[in-house]
Amino acid sequence: MTSLMTSRTEKPGRSLSQPRPGPLQYLVLGLLALVFVYPIWWAVSSSLKPPTDIVRDPLSFSLGSATLDNYRAMFDDVPIGTGFVNTVLVVAVKGAMTMFFCPLAGYAFAKYRFPGKNLLFGVLMLTLMLPTLVLVIPLLLEMSQLGWVNTYQALILPGSIDAFSIFWMRQTIAAVPDELLDAGRVDGASEFGIFARIVVPVIRPGIAALGVLTAMNIYNDFVWPVVAVNDESHQTLQVVLSTLAQNVTGNRVGADFATVWGELLAAGSIAMLPVLALFVLLQRHFINGILAGSVKG
Amino acid sequence: MTSGTLTPPRKERAAPDSPRPTRSRRKPFLAPYLFVAPFYIVFAAFGLYPLVFALQLSFTDWKGAGRANFIGLENYTYLLTSEEFWSSLGNSAVMWLLIVPLQIVGGLAAAVLLANARLRLRGMFRVAFIAPFVTPLVAMAQVWIVAFDTDYGLVNHLFNLVGLPDIDWLQSTVWAKPTLALLFLWKTTGFAIIILLAGLQAVPGDVYEAAALDGASRKRQFWSLTLPLVRRSIAFLVVVQTLAVFQMFAEPFVVTQGGPYGSTTTGGLYLYNHILASDLGTGAANSFLLVLLVFALSLLSVRLLRSRDE
Repeated sequence: MTSLMTSRTEKPGRSLSQPRPGPLQYLVLGLLALVFVYPIWWAVSSSLKPPTDIVRDPLSFSLGSATLDNYRAMFDDVPIGTGFVNTVLVVAVKGAMTMFFCPLAGYAFAKYRFPGKNLLFGVLMLTLMLPTLVLVIPLLLEMSQLGWVNTYQALILPGSIDAFSIFWMRQTIAAVPDELLDAGRVDGASEFGIFARIVVPVIRPGIAALGVLTAMNIYNDFVWPVVAVNDESHQTLQVVLSTLAQNVTGNRVGADFATVWGELLAAGSIAMLPVLALFVLLQRHFINGILAGSVKG
Repeated sequence: MTSGTLTPPRKERAAPDSPRPTRSRRKPFLAPYLFVAPFYIVFAAFGLYPLVFALQLSFTDWKGAGRANFIGLENYTYLLTSEEFWSSLGNSAVMWLLIVPLQIVGGLAAAVLLANARLRLRGMFRVAFIAPFVTPLVAMAQVWIVAFDTDYGLVNHLFNLVGLPDIDWLQSTVWAKPTLALLFLWKTTGFAIIILLAGLQAVPGDVYEAAALDGASRKRQFWSLTLPLVRRSIAFLVVVQTLAVFQMFAEPFVVTQGGPYGSTTTGGLYLYNHILASDLGTGAANSFLLVLLVFALSLLSVRLLRSRDE
């Protein structure tokens, strides 16, 4: 019994009976980590080089020759500022909808008994298995029927309240003790008041992880925005980027090849920056968010 | 933190002579419906309606304008006998073979190394592996264009340094698929590592202690304990990645536009080509065929992984 107790208090996973990792293991992990991080470093550092150097010597990097020319050229060529503003708007509104409605629905599924609950929950779980691809064409047609092509609502509304986030929030809220909720009821709180003033504060870490992962997914989203929007003024950042890339591969001509590559790397780097910064600051929430994703299997 | 101090009572329990005992008994009727309603409204409008519409559409010859004529199963029979459709599935299948086995084996190896409680710098390794997963795919696809260029790219530059010849990474039908598969692997293997790591850490340490006491070798412990215990995580990853590989779109769309000679036209990109060509009836039929295939593959892989368990 005591041995069982002590093993529980140790770090999760295997106990200290494991061998200490040797230099070989560190070497393997270190090389692997390098492979994973190097492309990011290479892209960012190359974006700061004079364009001709990217072509002439892709490996070199010296702080002395660092320049923002690529960024200036990119800002001149593509509406990346507009892309950023649009992306921020979509992330903010769509993210806020997810973070408000999904915990609310998760709360209802976790803590209420009501007629039709099983049926409704079954439908919710079925929609989890619906690949986005099957919806792209009819959704596009629906948008054109509504006159919503090239609008913010087309970018924001589809998928704004998603089944997976509800399911995840239901799991999180199920762990909140019922006595807490009853206490709120005794104090005369309304049903929504119980959610807002008791449930939300208790599950704040879960909501934070949901927010981080949702923001990342919306920021990186590409398939739907590229289909739903074709005018420059509503393009999200990822769509602006892909337009730039297509221009490059579309006309592979020698003269300003290096310049365009500089622009490509600058665009890629500037798009990575916010999400990488967010990741470094909030990596614990990121990883929690990903782990929550594995629950659905 | 928790040791020494008693945890305070979570809340004040209501006095038995509460002035409003009936309020806590009152069953809320409307509230739960109101709380779940927004999801069903959004789903009905942007999920169910388009789905029903797509099913209808898949039996017509609609080109995005004009009259839609009912043509029965013609779209389906057309696709099932079309070389392009099968080649898009074939391309996706090759990608799958290049990606999924390598990712599971490599990811498991990395996760086993990371799961060692005595490993230093664990957090740093974890951050490094997961960093690609958070970068925007489109941005990295652009980097791939530059890095894998035949004449001036980083990769051929490195190859030349060690005496290897240039490779036409993105212009050759042989190499374009592995180059895109590498992008996919680079981007998502960190995700696989974290999922497998979570599976491994759910295994209680005393199970291994008991096995070690019984004289099981480390190799034996891996095959008889670790592997069966992470089987659920592996099954989850296989399903998720199968879905992702067959729907793969942004990688070929940005990097190769499906070329050279259609060798990277994946299931997802082929579907998009119907939209470009305004061939929407066929496109709708294509998406249903793709979905059926992905479901079948997911079910099959789950079954295979499960049956080995028994």
